[in-house]
Amino acid sequence: MKNIYKPIEGVLEDIITESAKIKTFVIRLKENFEFKCGQFIELSLPGIGEAPFTPSSDPAVKEKIDVTIMSAGKITSLLHNSGKNISLGIRGPYGKGYPLHKFEGKDVLIVGGGVGLAPLRALLFGLFADINKYNKIVFRYGARTAQDIIYKDQIPVWAAKERVNWLTTVDVGDPSWKGNVGLITTVLNDLPVDIKKAVVIVCGPPIMMKFVTLKLLDLGFAPADIYLSMEKSMSCGLGKCGHCRIGKFYICKDGPVFTYEELKDTHDIWD
Amino acid sequence: MNRIYFLTIDKLNYFLERLKDKYSVFSPVVKTQNYTGEVDYSFDKLPSGTALVFNPYRCVEPLKSFFTLSKEKVAEYFHTQDNLRDLGKVIICGVKSCDIVAHRIQDFVFLEGVAEDSLYRARRENTIFISSDCTAYKEVCFCLALEILPHPTEGFDINLSPLNDGYLVEVGSEKGKNLINEYSDYFIPAKDTQISARQAKRNNLIARLKRDLAPKKIPPKSILQRLIKEGYGLDTWQQFMSTCVECGGCNLICDTCHCFLLEDRKDSGVNEKIKMWDSCLYANYARVAGGANPNKTRSQRLRFRFTKKFDFFVENLKMPACCGCGRCIEVCPGKIDIREILKDLAKKLNLAQ
Repeated sequence: MKNIYKPIEGVLEDIITESAKIKTFVIRLKENFEFKCGQFIELSLPGIGEAPFTPSSDPAVKEKIDVTIMSAGKITSLLHNSGKNISLGIRGPYGKGYPLHKFEGKDVLIVGGGVGLAPLRALLFGLFADINKYNKIVFRYGARTAQDIIYKDQIPVWAAKERVNWLTTVDVGDPSWKGNVGLITTVLNDLPVDIKKAVVIVCGPPIMMKFVTLKLLDLGFAPADIYLSMEKSMSCGLGKCGHCRIGKFYICKDGPVFTYEELKDTHDIWD
Repeated sequence: MNRIYFLTIDKLNYFLERLKDKYSVFSPVVKTQNYTGEVDYSFDKLPSGTALVFNPYRCVEPLKSFFTLSKEKVAEYFHTQDNLRDLGKVIICGVKSCDIVAHRIQDFVFLEGVAEDSLYRARRENTIFISSDCTAYKEVCFCLALEILPHPTEGFDINLSPLNDGYLVEVGSEKGKNLINEYSDYFIPAKDTQISARQAKRNNLIARLKRDLAPKKIPPKSILQRLIKEGYGLDTWQQFMSTCVECGGCNLICDTCHCFLLEDRKDSGVNEKIKMWDSCLYANYARVAGGANPNKTRSQRLRFRFTKKFDFFVENLKMPACCGCGRCIEVCPGKIDIREILKDLAKKLNLAQ
């Protein structure tokens, strides 16, 4: 019988520095593993502890996964200071991920903030695999400063794709940055999308998700068309340990992707 | 209709003695007198040659402690065979109606949903409940307010009801039936008069408990979810939290609380995953890396405990996660009383009886 608490083994094959506080960890898996974009994993340093992350790689690639991680707590800072070729534990994937079939034929607006671009990269790969199914992909990405932008080499490639409309903005400009300056909420006016035939995917820090959602509602997007990637203290991944509960949901098994319609009557979702 | 037998006390003890050859038999033992002068009972393994002690009300420990240990290894990294602790075949005597109702919550969490906990499943299948009617109650007992009767009605394998110099033995499951079939010589079918006598004793206890609960004015089960939903913003939470010392006792001793923490440990070179009971009253329960915490204050955490009990489980399992056993009231050093919190909410929402 399957032991739900037992991790499979992965080997840390490569570490890519994305910004001062963000690195991408490339993990080669020793057992079969598949995930859908938006699902998350529990990644562990054996004997030390585990934490939840959403893979940032192409779900079609089976033998390895990328996980893009900001140094924020105990596990993440140890990972940032680690060398290659160590063994890591992986449990999952958990949760429901993005319902791509519901995005077909729609204008897909994606709003990402900071390291929230990591799970959205897996989503982009998923969308690009069948790009003709979607009307267009409009991406608005916000970072704190130009130095905080991740996937710097890949963004121009994605932005140049047919059907893709991309804008990156930074909260605080500097002489090296030639692009847009302003909070993410300031680049959501005059979007090239048909609000009545669009879906929006939002992923970023809670404060950003809150104000983006309020802005989107103001613009006339329907609560059922706004997809939010929620984050709480997910641990077991299976709706048993209790930690990630909000209202009647467990983020880990009922989400982590929810529509605002599903959450709008739940208290304190942004805390 | 379940089969009901009569067994003298001597025969019951012979029966249990035989069972000890194949099962670890756990049974209530007198623990100590608690601060109110009541006698407390505690589950312990019954050594051979020892007679059953009948507990008139529930034991101190929650039933969950047989299935989810307070702290144990649940996995090893990576390729080693998991040698998880097998508890063997277990019989638990002295289980009460409230314990059985609460256990429905544990079963829901660990056996249903997106995946089952295989260790919990193994223990559940290897365990037989020999429950019994309550013949008395503690000051903190309020099962009737949750519409739970003080005698088991389902979910037991065998139930004992004390009567004169013996017990009426009701068979409640296949497991129970098989157990009795092996020792059928001991069991005499109960007479109708004995079954009526059992009913009279049960009715008598219910009437006494009802009479004692009436002045406590505990809000009825039907409005509990409404109290929590509509009382979310009330000052009740701040008020009752002032004496909380964040010991987590209310969660740990609750038979419906199931939260656990997964931690890693290195034990003589082997990396292990440890599962241990956790409490939503602890400050770091919901904290995420970087420091954000949706339940920063004690009052938020108390409210979190109540929304889980009376809203989450009503939404997801159509029953509240409270069986009225009163363990959380007894254990609390801050004298925080779940009954008083529900009453306060009802009063402030003008829903008091």
